[in-house]
Amino acid sequence: MRKIGDRLDGYDPGQFKHKFKLLFIIVAAALSLLVMRLWYVQVIKGDELRQRSESNSVRLWKIKPMRGLIMDDGRRVLVDNQPSFDIVLIPNRTKDIRKVIERIKELYTERSLTFPSLSSLPDRVKPFVPVLLERNISMEKLAVVETHALELPGVVTEVTPIRQYLNGEMTAQVIGFTGEVSREELDRSTAGKLSPGDIIGKFGIEKFLDSHLRGKNGAEQIEINVAGKAIRSLGRIPATTGDNVVLTIDSALQEAAWSALGNRAGAVAVLDPRNGAVLALVSSPSFDPNLFTGRISSGDWDNLSNDPRHPMENRSISGQYPPGSTYKIVVAAAALEEGLITPETTLHCNGTFELGDRVFRCWQAKGHGNVNFHRAIVESCDVYFYNLGKMLGVDRIAAYAQAFGLGAPLGIDLNREKGGLIPTKQWKLSHLRQSWQMGETISLAIGQGFNLVTPIQLANAYAALANGGALYRPRLIKQLESYDGHVVKVFEPEKQGVLPVRPRNIQLINQALWGVVNEKGGTGYILKRPEQDVCGKTGTAQVIGLPQDEKMRKAKRVSAAFRDHALFVCFAPYGNPEIVVAVILENAGHGGSVAAPVARKVIDTYFSRKKMMQTQQPAKAQVAAADVRGTPMP
Amino acid sequence: MIKLDRRLILNFDWTLFILVLVIIGIGLLNIYSTGFSLTDLRQTPLYIKQLQWVLIGLVGMALAFFIDYRFLSRHAYIIYGISIVLLLVVFTAGYATRGAQRWIAVGGFTFQPSELVKLTIILALAKYFDHHQTGRVYHLTELFIPFLIVLIPFLFILKQPDLGTGLILLILFLSIVFFVGLDWKSLLIAAAGGLILTPIGWHFLKDYQRERILTFFSPERDPLGSGYHIIQSMIAVGSGGIFGKGFLKGSQTQLKFLPEQQTDFVFSVFAEEWGFLGGIILLIMFLFLILWGLKIMIHSKDYVGAMIALGITMLIFWEVFINIGMVLGILPVVGIPLPFLSYGGSSMVVLMTAVGLLMNISVRRFILQSS
Repeated sequence: MRKIGDRLDGYDPGQFKHKFKLLFIIVAAALSLLVMRLWYVQVIKGDELRQRSESNSVRLWKIKPMRGLIMDDGRRVLVDNQPSFDIVLIPNRTKDIRKVIERIKELYTERSLTFPSLSSLPDRVKPFVPVLLERNISMEKLAVVETHALELPGVVTEVTPIRQYLNGEMTAQVIGFTGEVSREELDRSTAGKLSPGDIIGKFGIEKFLDSHLRGKNGAEQIEINVAGKAIRSLGRIPATTGDNVVLTIDSALQEAAWSALGNRAGAVAVLDPRNGAVLALVSSPSFDPNLFTGRISSGDWDNLSNDPRHPMENRSISGQYPPGSTYKIVVAAAALEEGLITPETTLHCNGTFELGDRVFRCWQAKGHGNVNFHRAIVESCDVYFYNLGKMLGVDRIAAYAQAFGLGAPLGIDLNREKGGLIPTKQWKLSHLRQSWQMGETISLAIGQGFNLVTPIQLANAYAALANGGALYRPRLIKQLESYDGHVVKVFEPEKQGVLPVRPRNIQLINQALWGVVNEKGGTGYILKRPEQDVCGKTGTAQVIGLPQDEKMRKAKRVSAAFRDHALFVCFAPYGNPEIVVAVILENAGHGGSVAAPVARKVIDTYFSRKKMMQTQQPAKAQVAAADVRGTPMP
Repeated sequence: MIKLDRRLILNFDWTLFILVLVIIGIGLLNIYSTGFSLTDLRQTPLYIKQLQWVLIGLVGMALAFFIDYRFLSRHAYIIYGISIVLLLVVFTAGYATRGAQRWIAVGGFTFQPSELVKLTIILALAKYFDHHQTGRVYHLTELFIPFLIVLIPFLFILKQPDLGTGLILLILFLSIVFFVGLDWKSLLIAAAGGLILTPIGWHFLKDYQRERILTFFSPERDPLGSGYHIIQSMIAVGSGGIFGKGFLKGSQTQLKFLPEQQTDFVFSVFAEEWGFLGGIILLIMFLFLILWGLKIMIHSKDYVGAMIALGITMLIFWEVFINIGMVLGILPVVGIPLPFLSYGGSSMVVLMTAVGLLMNISVRRFILQSS
């Protein structure tokens, strides 16, 4: 390498002189071009542009797109759009924003109307960017603002489409709601996708399918004169309407489940076992999504978010409950498959099961006597399953539970789905740093202990039994259509796995589940009907404490929060099932007496309607679909 | 490496130094004007922030002035390598706004390594051509490595995505290649290759970048986006007329429409307030700055100094031309700042450092002696 010194070799300082001329010409020509252009814009066109800038201003109106509709399986519209009147203020047309707001307040108070206290005016008001004062105002207020327009410089009423949730609370957690895009959401979005003021899905299907439902903003450049009047349009791009969504939800079943739950906390998940379509998904208590269409009042918001009953949680996919006796099918399948028992294996139940010095009780204190596999499920004999649990061990039970789709999210078309929990020895060691106790396996065998499942998982596991062993991904979305009815995308059934259980063993379990409802002594016998064969399983899940502790049992009777969860899962008709229903009622008592009637109502609705449909001509439902679009905006 | 030589002071390039300070001063006044009507007390005003950057820029300028450019040139590839690493850091630890990941945060400041790369590729290319002087025009094969030097940061920057900076890198490369000379056959092959690659490159552009180019050819395509910028910008510039609306008087009008008024569209604020006369004076100052840079280039006592001076001068020239051309609606809207006027710390610091290098080359022609 050359040493840095002051003497240089082999360079002719003048060698670039001739190129300097060429560069000079290029640079001078380029800058002259700019000067000429500047002359043209500022001097030749100057007067014209100056006039435009002084007398007229160009305003860019965002044309908001119409959001796609959401329909149920029978193409009944669940969500549509309605015009809403908002009052906005354009800052550059008024001298004192606060004064104008004060004037509106006065006008309102004179007519005993209330003006919502603005949470805050933006810190930085841009002269031409409208500030929203009040959303979705009543006709009365609209009249006040319009008639006093002269006293309210800069105040303008705007018409925007807002969502109307026709089913209200019934489907709130599934469909969700929309809202104005937040600052964080804007920052996270890719360039050009979202702009301030856009309405986007915040929850439920509205959020999950937001990119399809939202459509695309249009824009119009309007020249406005000093008086604030639009003079002419300089260009317009129409908004693109979002796609319509057809759900797999059957409103009649949704309604049946919702009304059967009444005001009680709980969840219902209904599936078509033949393809995984979700026919109903109900969570109670619920909330009114229409509250969110305007700017939700802070009082309403506090009520909703602080409600101890968590109305905004979708219990059917994110409520995690101990499965109770509904879990026995997993243990039964495992014991049969592993060859630990045969259908004829008979065990004696005297009401207790002893392990070391611990005593585990059967729910039937006097015992079931000698029970075989079939009777053990029909009568839900705990002692029989304590024995199976002891034979299987926790990890073998867990392997089967996972094969039934428990312990991990199923991938339903909604955000916030929970996975539940299927404990193993390894799990306890790594999470609680304790080794597994045999006693815990015994509790586990009847669905108590660490086990947690979601209602949709329970429905899905029983659906797999019902259809002969196939596990489908629960689907909520049937298809997407463009606003004019062209099918954009059809969602096909997605088979995710097969139960590791031989058809003969599935058959045995299903027979027993039939017996639960249809045989004397079955825990679900009160549901027996002559019309169709329902198969099901009851469950009663202890909420806290050691299930065998007498004191705790007494305490639970006292305090509602400690009462058992009632569960019931069923499918029908036996032999060729078309519907699976899983019901959980929180702190409600026994599954057979409390949860089963809810399931029964859903099943009855399904079959009575099916019968009706068969007697009628094939319904005209298809025709109605074309003209269900919401009212177009003016 | 740093020798406080009396000759550094005696032959200091006052013309260049003062010229650049004057342009920077105009820029600060202009940014003051853009923020004049916005009342946001929680944040430091932009002109104060820009002033802080100018002070940092002065430090950069001093360093670049005192360190012998031949020392910098000797380590040009290492400096280049560091800047590439910083570009990579943007992807892993970078800070994104509105979908583009261009910034890294250092302390309370954010920095765009892509601005730094503009200077480091000049150093790297200057070193390469210095070491591979042929005394004749170059063949295409001989340009493979310098092309690679530009291509690597170009691809990273395109990925951020930042079309404007990527474009500047390519134009800088082409300027230098044309300057050192290319034989006719190679020129034809390169032109043909460029024509073939254009549709492929089009395929890799982001939707919004394609939209901008299409919008340039017909602004009404996109009244919401860049077409709107162009129309608003033209109204602002045009309404300035011959004498302008006067300092602080233009800010009440159209420009509040422009989201980029402090950065890429800052010239429209200037032209609105100072009119055609102000515009001419600013352009003459830039012309003078560029000619001064070219003068330093031809008077450099060594090849590498001449190449660095050329690269820096061309960088300033192209940024001025493309930015003002864009504001005046004769070039498409691409994100390229106006040197010394646009708000933005990285660009300011890098350009001031570059000017320090120019002064460095300028003064050392009195120190170095040819054999």
